[in-house]
Amino acid sequence: MLAQQLLNGLLLGATYALFALGFTLMFGVLRVVNLTYGFYFTAGAFLALWLTQAGAPLFLALPAAAIASGLIATLLDWLLLTRLRRAGADELASLMVTLGAVLALYAGMTAWLGPDIRRLPPGLIAAGALEAFGLRITLAQILILAACALLVGLLLWLMRGTRLGLAIRAMAERPDTAALMGIATARLAALVSFVSGALAGAGGVLIGLNFNAIHPYMGESMMLRGFVVIVVGGLGNIFGALVAGLLLGIIEVLTAGYISSGLKEAVAFALLVLVLWTRPAGLFGTTLARKA
Amino acid sequence: MAWFDDLLFTYQNLAVALGVNGLLALSMYVVLAVGQLSLGQAAFMGLGAYSSALMSLQLGWPFWAVLPLSCVVPVLFALAVGGPTLRLNGVYLAIATIGLGEVLRGVYLNVDVLGGAMGLSGIPEAAPLWLIYAMLALAVLVLWQVGKSGIGRAMEAMRLDETAALSMGVNIRRYRLATLCASAVLAGLAGALSAHSTDFIGPNDFGFEPAVTILSFALLGGIGSPFAPVLGAWLLTLLPEVLRPLADVRLVMNGAVIVVAVLFLPRGLLAWRMPRHVRPGRAA
Amino acid sequence: MLKRRTLAAAALAALLLPMAASAADPVPLGAVEVLTGPTAAYGTAAKAGLDLALEAINGKGVLGGRKLSLTVEDSAGTKDGAINAMRKLIGRDKVVALIGPTLSNEMFAAGPVANARGIPTIGTSTTANGITDIGPFIFRTAMPEADVIPVTMRKAAARGAKTIALMYANDDAFSKSGFEVMQKAAATAGLQIVATESFASKDTDFSAQLTKIKALKPDAIGISALVEPVSGVLLQARQLGFGAETQFVGGNGSNSPKLAAIAGAAAEGMLVGSPWFVAKPDAANQAFVAAFQSKYGKAPDQFAAQAYDTLFILAEAIDRAGEADPAKIRDALTKTEHTGALGPFRFGENRSPAATEGVVVLELHDGAFRIAP
Repeated sequence: MLAQQLLNGLLLGATYALFALGFTLMFGVLRVVNLTYGFYFTAGAFLALWLTQAGAPLFLALPAAAIASGLIATLLDWLLLTRLRRAGADELASLMVTLGAVLALYAGMTAWLGPDIRRLPPGLIAAGALEAFGLRITLAQILILAACALLVGLLLWLMRGTRLGLAIRAMAERPDTAALMGIATARLAALVSFVSGALAGAGGVLIGLNFNAIHPYMGESMMLRGFVVIVVGGLGNIFGALVAGLLLGIIEVLTAGYISSGLKEAVAFALLVLVLWTRPAGLFGTTLARKA
Repeated sequence: MAWFDDLLFTYQNLAVALGVNGLLALSMYVVLAVGQLSLGQAAFMGLGAYSSALMSLQLGWPFWAVLPLSCVVPVLFALAVGGPTLRLNGVYLAIATIGLGEVLRGVYLNVDVLGGAMGLSGIPEAAPLWLIYAMLALAVLVLWQVGKSGIGRAMEAMRLDETAALSMGVNIRRYRLATLCASAVLAGLAGALSAHSTDFIGPNDFGFEPAVTILSFALLGGIGSPFAPVLGAWLLTLLPEVLRPLADVRLVMNGAVIVVAVLFLPRGLLAWRMPRHVRPGRAA
Repeated sequence: MLKRRTLAAAALAALLLPMAASAADPVPLGAVEVLTGPTAAYGTAAKAGLDLALEAINGKGVLGGRKLSLTVEDSAGTKDGAINAMRKLIGRDKVVALIGPTLSNEMFAAGPVANARGIPTIGTSTTANGITDIGPFIFRTAMPEADVIPVTMRKAAARGAKTIALMYANDDAFSKSGFEVMQKAAATAGLQIVATESFASKDTDFSAQLTKIKALKPDAIGISALVEPVSGVLLQARQLGFGAETQFVGGNGSNSPKLAAIAGAAAEGMLVGSPWFVAKPDAANQAFVAAFQSKYGKAPDQFAAQAYDTLFILAEAIDRAGEADPAKIRDALTKTEHTGALGPFRFGENRSPAATEGVVVLELHDGAFRIAP
């Protein structure tokens, strides 16, 4: 049973990490507590839902939904934050504006589509579980693990191995200096918004596929865990988000499995507080995206 | 005066909420005033609400004794966790305080005497409306006086530039802990007053969402003076009721109003800063 | 300035002064339902049932031709929202009776307000323990879980289950109270409880709890929660290898067509006790289902059916009371008997449904509920 519980924890942790990847990028690089992030997650899931209902196969619907979510994120970032960035308003103002926006977006979506849970068309992905060594895993779960590994790899390569990544890291560290060095920060901010939004959208599709429940508030209910993961992992730290996500998932599952399911949140949050008390910038935190 | 009674009846809960949310906004304001994004207000409020409700329900104590004691548990909690927590900055502090709130929520859910998911009901409605507003007025007055004094200047200095404040001899650790305790007192009072005017409290009244709502009171109003956060709280409390006729798009409008307000008034609705006269010979 | 203020006061007074009720004025009623936010599905269903009933009742009116005017206010699923909505309906709209709120949590918070003011209030979907203990003006047409779940548990035992594991949402009053009922009912039905696991209403992952339960191999699993988490539990249980040999048993939250819509084949075989079901053959129910289908283009659920019957019961009580007076309506409610979509109905001593014979145990079969064989 321990092996299956560890696998459960790993899978849950992978969904947390998948959700948090774009979030930590947006947060760490753009230095904005952007509360609209959860909405891109919802948007991705709904876009994939409509595409697959119209008959598109998953391998087309997933990237299309991710790209569209990325575009929505870029647009909203431009609408909500350029003005504040230009005025040099402090980060609390941007937190507040994204809070207002996300309230309006979720409420608007519920008013438009209704609050009901929807499902992706059955048969989109084989529902049966594979069984080996007494462990069970479904295809959707394998997809989540693979996507998580692939995206972490891609992001690390982008941030560490390319000139673009260097520019992004420069901007994360010192936006003013980066601008002086000739980096087009506005265009780069748009690009980072796009990548974060696309990651959120892809996460929404895969997690919606796994739990088979797509509804307007699905992104909202991930936000609290998302915050925990990016903070424990260190803001802007991709690798940190992966490790923190997996840890959180495994701790929750093991608490529920071996201590008491009623205590799983309390234990997870108590550990979060302890981590921060001993490591004030998270497990892997230095400052912002220096390490990416 | 039957129509006046009806008016009072119709808006009694709203009137209570305006007073209580005003106190919560001030509780947020005192920590923001020293530049700390500490989001423990909902948790402090919960401690005040639960401890006061237990004193009324289990021990049967009168409200005049319960109310001052309702601040004790939140302050003790603030003192217990303040040391290690207040070393944190920015979002790290925000998440740590949210985390503490979630731990407390887990306690309310799992401890039988606290009612679990059913919460506590049958709390005597012993808090008169005038008392809520008297406490709010008193809090504004005290914060105004403190703000004008040397303490207020030191706090302002901490918010703007911690290193400079430190080098000028401001004891930052002491100030941070003191403001956290002040925040706990205000939120604890708000919790006790609200528990004793609505009959029922439950664990979900003090979680993540209320914490964010309380933050938004202060951010929308501004932190230039103690009046600003109260104004923000009042606007955000009234807005959903005013927009009631809009039915299912009212929350959309609610959010849209916030967006527009912040975009055009990024320093808050009331950006005016309270005057601080520098008096020679009174260093902080 | 002064003039403007007087004018404003006059306008305000005009708005608030109760107009002298003439015999032709409609009878003001109010309902508090969740119409926005994450739990809006329940309130919207109830509102649809109420609107349908209102049309039918206003065809002939009450008290010799007066119409009912029903103001439905949104509670947004929150305690404060429910209290504000209720106070607005009582203080400004001067309603003589209330329906709702939708959720048990909301009733615990808002019920005392109406009770203190002496306005009869009927919950249509508030099944938690202790709802009518709020006070003498609080009624419910919702069948409390304490009356439904024992019937379901007996059915599970009759089908050969000896051991059961229980799961519930521990952060929601309705689910927690349903769990306590399940605990008692399972013991009474002779089922041995081998495990008790909880989760949070918003959780999507239940793998840890289910893996633990699977190792204990219980014959049945009882779940007390709203339909969204219940569906999540079922979907994940199938992923983890629970098959048809495990009998899933649900509470009132599972009694919704949404169970099959969300959980699909994973919900096959689940047992749910219900005071009502869509294919109940009697004429009153068939008429209701047909009318609902033609107005909204979809089948009603239990929440719509209960709200629909409740408005009829209220209208009959108003007729019996002889005038639109809250206290008289309250007394009339205790004597009203009505046969509607739910079957024959009257309130018992404790202002909850008197009879429990109407409870049927349903089984989800091929994506729809049928009477459990």
